[in-house]
Amino acid sequence: MKKIGKVKRLFTALVACIMIFGMVGVTGCNSSSSSKNDGKTITIWATGSDNVRQIYEKLVEDFNENSEYAGQYTAKLQFMLSGTGTQSLSDMLASAYKAKQKDTDYDLVDLSGDDLSKVISQIGEDAFVKLDDSKIPNAEGVSAESTIATDYVQPYRGTTVVLAYDSEKVTNPPKTWDELTQWIKDNPGRFAYNAPGTGGAGDSFARTAVYNYLPDEAMTSDDTKWEDQWDEGFDYLKELNEDMYTSGGSIVYPNKNQGTLDLLNQGEIDMCPNWADMVLSQKAEGTLKDTIKITQIEPALTGSLQSLAIPKFGSNEKGAYAFIDYMLSDEAQEIMVQDMAAIPLVNTDNINMKGFEEIKNLDVSKFRIMSIGDLSTDFNQRWDSEIGASK
Amino acid sequence: MSKNLKQKLVAYGMVLPAFLVVMLTVAYPIVSAVIQSFQDGSTGEFTMDNYTYFFTDTAQRNNLLYTLYIVVVTVVVAIVVAYLLALYLRFVNSKISRAIGMLYLLPRFVPAMCAVYAMITIIRDTGMINRIGHLFGVNINLGMMYHASGIITMNLWFNIPFAAMMIAAGLGGIPNSIVEAASDVGAGKLRIFRSMILPLSIKDVIVAATFVFMSNVSSFTTPYLMGGNAPKMLGIVLFDEFNRYLDYNRSAALSVIMFLICSVSAGVYIYTNLKENDWEKN
Repeated sequence: MKKIGKVKRLFTALVACIMIFGMVGVTGCNSSSSSKNDGKTITIWATGSDNVRQIYEKLVEDFNENSEYAGQYTAKLQFMLSGTGTQSLSDMLASAYKAKQKDTDYDLVDLSGDDLSKVISQIGEDAFVKLDDSKIPNAEGVSAESTIATDYVQPYRGTTVVLAYDSEKVTNPPKTWDELTQWIKDNPGRFAYNAPGTGGAGDSFARTAVYNYLPDEAMTSDDTKWEDQWDEGFDYLKELNEDMYTSGGSIVYPNKNQGTLDLLNQGEIDMCPNWADMVLSQKAEGTLKDTIKITQIEPALTGSLQSLAIPKFGSNEKGAYAFIDYMLSDEAQEIMVQDMAAIPLVNTDNINMKGFEEIKNLDVSKFRIMSIGDLSTDFNQRWDSEIGASK
Repeated sequence: MSKNLKQKLVAYGMVLPAFLVVMLTVAYPIVSAVIQSFQDGSTGEFTMDNYTYFFTDTAQRNNLLYTLYIVVVTVVVAIVVAYLLALYLRFVNSKISRAIGMLYLLPRFVPAMCAVYAMITIIRDTGMINRIGHLFGVNINLGMMYHASGIITMNLWFNIPFAAMMIAAGLGGIPNSIVEAASDVGAGKLRIFRSMILPLSIKDVIVAATFVFMSNVSSFTTPYLMGGNAPKMLGIVLFDEFNRYLDYNRSAALSVIMFLICSVSAGVYIYTNLKENDWEKN
C-alpha cells in the first residue's frame, strides 16, 4: 500500500507540474485581454530598448504626478523590450484588430516609422482614431508630420542620422554630399560607416547614397522595380570603398553604430555617420570626447519620427488625447531632450537645452524618412557581396 | 500491476518531462532544420542548392576556409601552450607555479563581452600598446583589429585556461611514484615524458582539443566585434543569413554544415573515450 501511495503522490505532483506549465502558457498568450475601465486609467503601449523604457517610466510618473492632467487620469505603462523574442507590438495590435476585439486596454500605442508602416499595411489606418487637433492644444506648434497615416498619428519626438566628426581635425565640415565625397577622397582612411544591417547609421548612409540617384518617391516604396536603378548608387559606394578606414591592411566597415563611434572617439577616423541622439547622449555622459560634433548634410541622411496613435479598439480615447497632449508639453519634451537627446518637435524657447544645443540646428521639417520594406534585405545582401566582400 | 511494472512506470514518469523538453527544444528543431535545409525557400521542393551555394560561391568558400584556418590555428596553439602550462604546474613546485596555478583560471570568470572589449582596447591601432609606443616615439600599428590575428589572440585568451584546466586534471592523475620509479632506473626527463607522461595524458589532450575545436567553429561574439567584413567566420555568416537576409533555408543548410564539421571532432572524442574502455578491460 505504501508503494502505491508514493506512486500516487508522484503522479499528482507530475500532473500538477503539467497544469502549472499549461497555465503559464495560457496566461502568457492572454496578457492583452480587455480590462474593466473606469475612464481614469490610460494604458500606454510602447516598445524599444531599455533607455526608451526608462524615459517612458519617467514620463508616466511625471504625467501622473505633476502634469495638468494629474489626478484626472492615471497612466499605466506596458513596455515591451525589443529583441527579447516576444510577440511584437505591431503583431499584437494586428491580431487584436483582426479578432474584432472591443474595449481592450490598447488605449494609446507608441510606434516608430518601421512599426507604423507595418501596422498600417496589415490593418490599415482605419483601425486608428482620426486625430482631432482641437483635443491636442500643444500640437499647434508642431510642424513635423508622419509620412504614413498623417492624420491618424501624432509625432512627438524625432531623431536622425547625422555626420559626426572630430572638430579638432575637421575645421570645415562638409555641407553637401558632393563636399562629403570630396572630403572622403582628400582624406583617405579617415571615414567609416558601419556595415548596413548592423546598425541604423550605416543603413542610412548606404541607402541614402544609393537613393540620392533615385526619385523621391522610391524612398518610401517597397516595389522591386526600384532595385534595377540601384546600380549607379552602388557604383558610387564602390568608388568610395578604397578611401574608407583600413585596419590590418584591408578596408573595414565596423559592425554596429557603436563600432564607428568608437573609432571616431579613439581618433582612428575623423568622421562617420551616426545617430544624433546616440552621439549627444554619449557626449553628455562623458564617454565621447567634447570635440566631437554633429552636422547635417544636404540632401540629408535619413531620420525617423516616433509617433503616438489611438487604436479604435481601445477603451479610453479621452485619456489617450490627454497623454498625447502631455507628450507635446514643454516639460515632457525637456525630459526627452535631457535624457535621450531626442529632437523636440515643439518650439525650444521654453526648454532647457543645456548640453544639447546642437540639436537646435537639426530641422525636423527637412527630415528624410525612408521605408523600403523588404527591399532592405536585398540591399544588405548586395552591399555585402559588392562592397563588403570587395578587395 | 506487478511491482516491476509499477517501478518502471514511475521511472518513465520521472524521465518523461525532461524527455519531452529535450524532444521539443532539441530534437524537433534539429529534424525540422535538416528538412528545411533541403527545401527551396519559395516552392518548398527538394533541392541541394542551399548546400552547393556554400561550397561553390567564392565568398562563402572563403568564409569556410577562413573559419577552419582560425579554428585550427587556435586549437594547435592553445593545446601546445596549455600542455606546457599544465606540465609546468604539475611538475614544478615553486611559489611562482603555485601563484600561476591559482591565477590561470581567472579568465574563466571574466564575462566574454568584457574580455573582448578589454582586448580591443589593448590591441587596436590607437590602443594601449600604440600609446605606450608613443611614449618612446614609435608608432606601433599592430593591425590586429578586423583581422584573423586579433580573433586568434582572443580565442587563445579564452581557450588556453580552459584546455590547461582539463589537461592539468589529467596530469594530476599520474602518480609521482611511477615518475620516480622510471627515473630510478635511469630514464632521462625526455624519456619519461615520451614513454610515460605523454601516453598517460594524450587522451585528455585530445578531449581538450575537441572541445576547443567545437566551441570555436560556431563562435560569434569575438568575430562579430573583432572580425572584418570579408571573409567572415561561419557564426557571423549564419547570423547574416538568418537575421539580415532572412534566408531560413540557407541558414538551415549552414547549420547542418557546421554541425557536420563539429561532429568530426565529436567523433574523435567518442573514439578516444571508447579506446580507454578497451584499455581498462585489459
